[in-house]
Amino acid sequence: MNIVVCLKQIIDYEIPPRAFRIDRQKKKPAMPDASLVIGPFDENALEVALQLREKAGGGRITAVSMGPESAIEALRKALAVTADEAVLLSDPAFSDLDPFGTARVLGAAIKKLGGADLVLTGRQSGDWDAGQVGQLLAEELGAPCVNFAFRAEPGGDGRVRLYKETPGGAEILEAGTPVVATVTNAETNQLRLAKVRDLMAANRKPVPTWSAADLGLDPAALAAGRIEVLDLYVPTYDARCEFVTGETPEDKASALARRLVELKLV
Amino acid sequence: MDLSNPMREVYWNITGKNLMYVLLVPVLVAFFRGFYSKYRLWKIGRPTRRRDNWRRRLAGFFRGAVVQEKNFRDRYSGWMHFFIWGGMLVLFIGTANVALDEYLGVPTMEGLFYLYFQSLVLDVFGLLAIVGLAMALYRRYVVRPPRLHRTPQDAVFLGLLLLVLVTGFVIEGLRIAVTEDPWAAWSPVGWAFAAAFRATGMAAETMVGLHRFSWWFHLALAFAWIACVPYTKLTHLVTSPANIYMRSLGPKGRLEPINLETAEFLGASNLRHFTWKQLFDLDACTECGRCQDACPAHATLKPLNPKAVVLDLRDYMHEYGPLYLRRAQDDPWAAPAETPDGRPVPVMVGAVIAEDALWSCTTCRACMEACPVEIEHVPAIMDMRRFLAMDQASMPEGMADAIRSLETRGHPFRGTGGARTDWLQGLDVPVLDLSAGGGTRGAAGGAGADGAGPDADFDVLWWVGCAMAFDERNQKVARSLARVLHRAGVRFAILGNREKCTGDAARRIGHEYLFQTLAGENVATLNQALGNGRPRRIVTACPHCYNTLKHEYPDFGGHYDVVHHTEFIRELVDSGRLKLDGEVRETITFHDPCYLGRYNDVYDAPRKTLKDLSGAEVREIERARESSFCCGGGGALVFVEERIGTRINQTRARQAAETGARTVCTACPFCMTMLADGLKTTSGDEVQALDLAELVDRATAPAGPAAVGAGTGASPGDGSR
Repeated sequence: MNIVVCLKQIIDYEIPPRAFRIDRQKKKPAMPDASLVIGPFDENALEVALQLREKAGGGRITAVSMGPESAIEALRKALAVTADEAVLLSDPAFSDLDPFGTARVLGAAIKKLGGADLVLTGRQSGDWDAGQVGQLLAEELGAPCVNFAFRAEPGGDGRVRLYKETPGGAEILEAGTPVVATVTNAETNQLRLAKVRDLMAANRKPVPTWSAADLGLDPAALAAGRIEVLDLYVPTYDARCEFVTGETPEDKASALARRLVELKLV
Repeated sequence: MDLSNPMREVYWNITGKNLMYVLLVPVLVAFFRGFYSKYRLWKIGRPTRRRDNWRRRLAGFFRGAVVQEKNFRDRYSGWMHFFIWGGMLVLFIGTANVALDEYLGVPTMEGLFYLYFQSLVLDVFGLLAIVGLAMALYRRYVVRPPRLHRTPQDAVFLGLLLLVLVTGFVIEGLRIAVTEDPWAAWSPVGWAFAAAFRATGMAAETMVGLHRFSWWFHLALAFAWIACVPYTKLTHLVTSPANIYMRSLGPKGRLEPINLETAEFLGASNLRHFTWKQLFDLDACTECGRCQDACPAHATLKPLNPKAVVLDLRDYMHEYGPLYLRRAQDDPWAAPAETPDGRPVPVMVGAVIAEDALWSCTTCRACMEACPVEIEHVPAIMDMRRFLAMDQASMPEGMADAIRSLETRGHPFRGTGGARTDWLQGLDVPVLDLSAGGGTRGAAGGAGADGAGPDADFDVLWWVGCAMAFDERNQKVARSLARVLHRAGVRFAILGNREKCTGDAARRIGHEYLFQTLAGENVATLNQALGNGRPRRIVTACPHCYNTLKHEYPDFGGHYDVVHHTEFIRELVDSGRLKLDGEVRETITFHDPCYLGRYNDVYDAPRKTLKDLSGAEVREIERARESSFCCGGGGALVFVEERIGTRINQTRARQAAETGARTVCTACPFCMTMLADGLKTTSGDEVQALDLAELVDRATAPAGPAAVGAGTGASPGDGSR
């Protein structure tokens, strides 16, 4: 079984809001020292793939990431937990793509890989949280899509059995291949730690980089699907404390009522 | 008989004594064969150097094997053991003297030497040996302390030895009774036995016959006992002194690094992965159980018992070690899979030693400190943890989270939602700027005191440590220490975001790879920060950072002058730069952090400072200094939820509270976390945990209204978080 896992490298999601810095001009996060990590649900997707390969007693996992060169680190981490191979999709034409454009690039890469029986993505990226690429990728590949899966097993007749989270339980689906599933977190799919031997081997494995040209994509056509960020800021929450005074409780109450009316709160 | 020359007839009444030497042959064969087969098992281990520096080794040998200092920490067993081994040694020398007299003509059996040594001293030591044996039997079978277990072996060889000694006196008594030895009084015990025999009215011929029988019986017993040595725990007669001689001379806190580029295996999962010394350790064990008594994990019902670790590995080595001697064809580092009769060989890590046992070790070193024969439990446990952590990627969940966080964020606190410099808000703490240009800059949001200049003007680099920087309670300690350093006029700087975890947490989990990654980054940073200009010191308030910076970074190219804040504060007080004028009306007890005390022998500096606090009354916990009881946080266990047994931190909190002190002073952020929690859950708000820096902060605060609230260490004007 050929499994493709799509991973996005994002800025460490554990950075506290007060430490988060933004470049208002470039409308981008400005944190050169921040750690870069794999999106949390993408990690779950990778773990689901690893467990499926174990249960199936074999199979091939390819990790794919679209992003800047730094994203190779995310792919190395996937190799370290024993993904079989990894491909980086990197091209200036890929920057700021909307979910349609992203799905197009990922779809082209999967086709170039010779297709896949199962494509796993996180249910959403972990930074922009759009939550659309998985479904759009299914459209791109002409495959059905299962959302919020948390576990996958080999099904009968070459199908894939997917466990899907529902309120208060799980729905079990079997799908023919190819199929796309977006993965959500569960107790069973936290990404495992890498064994040190695999970690060291992962650093030596070649990771090819494919550009738009390699994928046969026209940069001009992709440019149409570029997102323009109009503004980006860290929301601020302001709290002020005001004391309402008065001689007697009655005075205080009426002063409070007046103030609330002034503030147009009542 | 010449009455002016005291003597006795050697081999009186014994004919055919040369038969003795015939009997000795199989005894010696058994003895040396036994040790040879053990030697072959030890050689399964990897090489390591343990014979260098003989002067230091000999000095340690004298203290450990001759004076037996550690044995005397328990007075009863100290004397008991001294009587037995001293007695046996003196009697052995006495016997050897007989041979000298008989075969080499050295006159040991006549004159004053005969009277004083061969008669009196031997008698007295023989009696002491009997007393020692009686003490041993009484303790093992009547008192029955939990640290001693009882095997048939123990009974047999204690009984055998007692019989050897008693028959020795029987022989002497019979000889005196029959020969009417004029110097009998010089052998008081033999003389008493003789008197007893005479009192029975036994005929002389009977006594002569009985003497002859006893002589051979005594000899047979002694020979049997000698033959037993390599096959029972009597092995320790040879291996324990040797083990003391070959003990580790390196810094106590340094773990042996692994060369990850060339390593053919990671950690220890079978006997081949241990060093020969680690295997030798197993045969040096006397089964005394002091390690078991010292172990905080064992005391709180965890599945770890250091004595059991040693004995289980020893039994595994004795049973399956011979199979290792046939070298495997394919993988020279693999363990044998099955016995010749097809039984599977149990897995060393997992079956022989349970994983839970390994993960229960706080690496507190109490076992090693207690061990009278210098067995190195912690490095062996660490080697097996290394196997689990690196080869199997298997570890408790809390540790896995710490590893994940260390990998991506350089600190082990997952989900803290904090930043490394949060704690210094509002304080004037210069952060070293290591980007081109250098210098220091004021803390973000701080007073903006630029210590600028390309060659930043600081004398001391303060290594803050992750726990101090991220943990809310310990941030208060950091703030106290910052104030104290300012008051003493210390010119210091910190590394801010350039500081990463020293890697102690990763290393003690067993993840040497991650440790070495972090060590490499930190050494590069530190060498840059401390590289040029005058020599500078590193001060840190975390004993774990302290130990790693001081003892483990030299292996990775980092050689620094490191002081712990308790030592540094002591220096500042001694040199008059810090005046402890303020009153600290507290009853205080000091909890020794393992990595400060046992690992680095810093016991007195914090105590002296506490005694200097005016108004303070210092009390000692029963388990203090070398025998301090771990808080439960060492070995990265501070990150793990304690699910088995009772809680170590509560046990320690109770021990501390029993002193009646209202303040438990410590000097380690992990101890702080564990004790604060332990005290809260066992004594509510009655007893508080404070760091030494916080008490010194109070004692040095400018006069005025009480600057410090109980347990907060925060002075007015501090932005509270």
